[in-house]
Amino acid sequence: MVNIFAPATIKERRQYYREEWSEKDLPNFISEELYKREFGFDHYGKGPNDRYKVFKNKDSLKKFMRIKAPFAGYVSVAFYNNPQRRGDWIKSEFVFDVDAKDMPIRSCNCESVCKICLGEALEFVQLLIDTLKTDLGIKNIHLIYSGRGYHVRILDPAIMETESELRGEVVKYVVGANVPENSISLGYTNLFNRRVKRNIFHLTGHETLDGINSKLLKDTIKHRDLLKDNSWGLFKGQIGPIRYKNLLAGMARVNLSMVDAKVSIDLKRILRLPSSLHSKVSMKCVEVKNPETFDPFKYAVPKFVHEREEKNKENVNENKKEK
Amino acid sequence: MNQTEIREGFLNPLSSDGQRILHENIDLNSIFDENEKLIEIINRVGHGIMDDDSKIPKSLGELAIKRIEWYFREKNDKKFKINEYSYFFNEDIYENDVVCFHLLAQAIAQQYNTNSREARLFFESQKRIIEERLNRMNTEFRNYIVDNTLDELLNNITTLKWTDLINLISSKKISLEDLLLSGGEIILNEDDFRETFYTEIEDWQERRIESVYNELVGYKVKELILTQIIVQNTEEYLKNIKEKLAIIDIHPKIKKLSEELEKQLKKLTEKYSEFYGSGSGFSNEFDKAEKLMKEAFPPCVLKTIEGVKSGNRNDAIVLFLTSFISYSRLYPQVFKNNENISISDVDPNLDITFNEILPIINEAAENAVPPLFEDQPQEKINIVSKLGFGMHSEPKLENEGETKWYTPMSCEKIKIHLGNLCHPNKACKKIGNPLSYYSMRKWQLKKDGKLNNTSKDSSKKKDKKNK
Repeated sequence: MVNIFAPATIKERRQYYREEWSEKDLPNFISEELYKREFGFDHYGKGPNDRYKVFKNKDSLKKFMRIKAPFAGYVSVAFYNNPQRRGDWIKSEFVFDVDAKDMPIRSCNCESVCKICLGEALEFVQLLIDTLKTDLGIKNIHLIYSGRGYHVRILDPAIMETESELRGEVVKYVVGANVPENSISLGYTNLFNRRVKRNIFHLTGHETLDGINSKLLKDTIKHRDLLKDNSWGLFKGQIGPIRYKNLLAGMARVNLSMVDAKVSIDLKRILRLPSSLHSKVSMKCVEVKNPETFDPFKYAVPKFVHEREEKNKENVNENKKEK
Repeated sequence: MNQTEIREGFLNPLSSDGQRILHENIDLNSIFDENEKLIEIINRVGHGIMDDDSKIPKSLGELAIKRIEWYFREKNDKKFKINEYSYFFNEDIYENDVVCFHLLAQAIAQQYNTNSREARLFFESQKRIIEERLNRMNTEFRNYIVDNTLDELLNNITTLKWTDLINLISSKKISLEDLLLSGGEIILNEDDFRETFYTEIEDWQERRIESVYNELVGYKVKELILTQIIVQNTEEYLKNIKEKLAIIDIHPKIKKLSEELEKQLKKLTEKYSEFYGSGSGFSNEFDKAEKLMKEAFPPCVLKTIEGVKSGNRNDAIVLFLTSFISYSRLYPQVFKNNENISISDVDPNLDITFNEILPIINEAAENAVPPLFEDQPQEKINIVSKLGFGMHSEPKLENEGETKWYTPMSCEKIKIHLGNLCHPNKACKKIGNPLSYYSMRKWQLKKDGKLNNTSKDSSKKKDKKNK
């Protein structure tokens, strides 16, 4: 079988940018005010070292992409009056970065990423988006499939001019990074409980979690059915008060490491450009229109990967014939 | 004048009511004169202090100093009894107290920086005074005054959003987790509470709904917002005074108050300096530059030196450890002094840098899994650059200043950037930066006389190993 995540060859990259990619695939939130953003590129697969690029409009970007067919393309979350020098910062998107392979709890325990953990990452970003909307009233939220995970990109004016400190506070609230002070399951306490419950039901027993030893992990799984109808008191009774406290502290830690919080507080970060090719895994970075029905293997696989498969089938058939 | 106005000043000396009281009652020339009206009030509402003359403030100046003294002692004096200062929480004092608040703001702005420990004592004391006054009110009155004061502070806006409190949230005066939020709005009144959590509280007894509302919102969120806005306004007020003082001469009586306050704080610090950093910015003894004491390193630093795993290695060693080790050895008072200096200002030949600082960083790099410099030799240059010596393979005096000496990350940043290093112990809870942890532990270890013993012990062990 062909490995769908195999890197793209330079030939495939060129084919992608000539035949498949179109500047029309750029989401509106990128193409509007494109000239105020910094672009960065990775031409050799060694990290984005061609930075501080600026494009006047979609056409000049199009030209560049077709000629260079970069290994990877990035765009800043920041808007600048002088993007070429990253000068005169105006505002930045607020971002949540969820990389499927870095999630501390994922039921597949696979080596890098697979259908299962990508599915769990999608389910998780939906929870984040729900909290952002219903609790915090944040609007203008875009979800991007990044190739190996998801970016939640927020362009709500209420938050775009805020500094790192505030963003850090919002991240901690939304993911549930602090153990709540009171146990009345409303507001944040309720949010935290839901996140922890979800974590606990995704445990396989093979995780290594900071602050939760293997005995505690085992017992948590053993008694987790009590949480099905939110019998937290009974569950706590089974685990014991001190270990329960450790469990919650450990889970708060897990919650924070479900996202890459560094990205969220960085006002000048560059992120993979939606519509571009993630050459390492041969996947497209695409905006997710409907998270309920989105399937990366349906919407983010470039044509050349299908062609690879077909060629491979032909080869197999030929081999069989020869035999 | 109606009752409501009076009471706003009781909680918020910066309210229009507070301003009015100030202008009606202020006479700078007489602030150290015996004030019969004040003494009469203290006699009436003070508890159990009449036998000790020194406990009775006799002038506005003395009352102002008592205000700080009260808070300092509450924080640091284990035998402290709040009753000695109970007059501060009685409404009868409030006109005098409003004047004292403004006098103190002037005196502190005159003498100290706006982020000094003395200024922080003043801000924190204002916060505590509001809390304590609220705690002593009966429920009905408490709700009434909180609603009125809050209305004035928020200019009567009907719906408060969390985005209206961005400054308070950024500075961690209020945490989002404390608020009950719905669609961006902060739930403040009981009807909205019932409406928002309709499904959650469906089966609850009426009594429980009321008490939970009061616990989470009525007494908590409302009062938290109220108090923290006042504290924030006080901070801004102090900044404004400081700016004005650059142009206008200070009144001699205010100057006298600053001097008296300084004297009193010194006395208090000597008497109650049980804890390191107990509001005492008056001595630099505990954070002077001296040989590193590993026994006093915080858990995150020890973990980094023991060895960090790939994924975290670069930031842990280059950003975090490099700045921590260099500042704790050479310039531990960096945050207090608030000025930017270079390594050679304190280590002119770079002897300490080469012999004491870099070896620890190299040790951590070697212990990393995989060893940091094996696959990323360029990180050596990044370490040099974070020490302020530009992008070069080793620190040289002639390159100093090409980059900045990177200051140590706060606990908050470490949590976000290097979450797996942060396993706080009890002492961590008292500090916000690993550097302060180090100074505090050093002081404690010295005080308990443990440091020398452990140092000897560890060197003995090493000797044995070497043999």
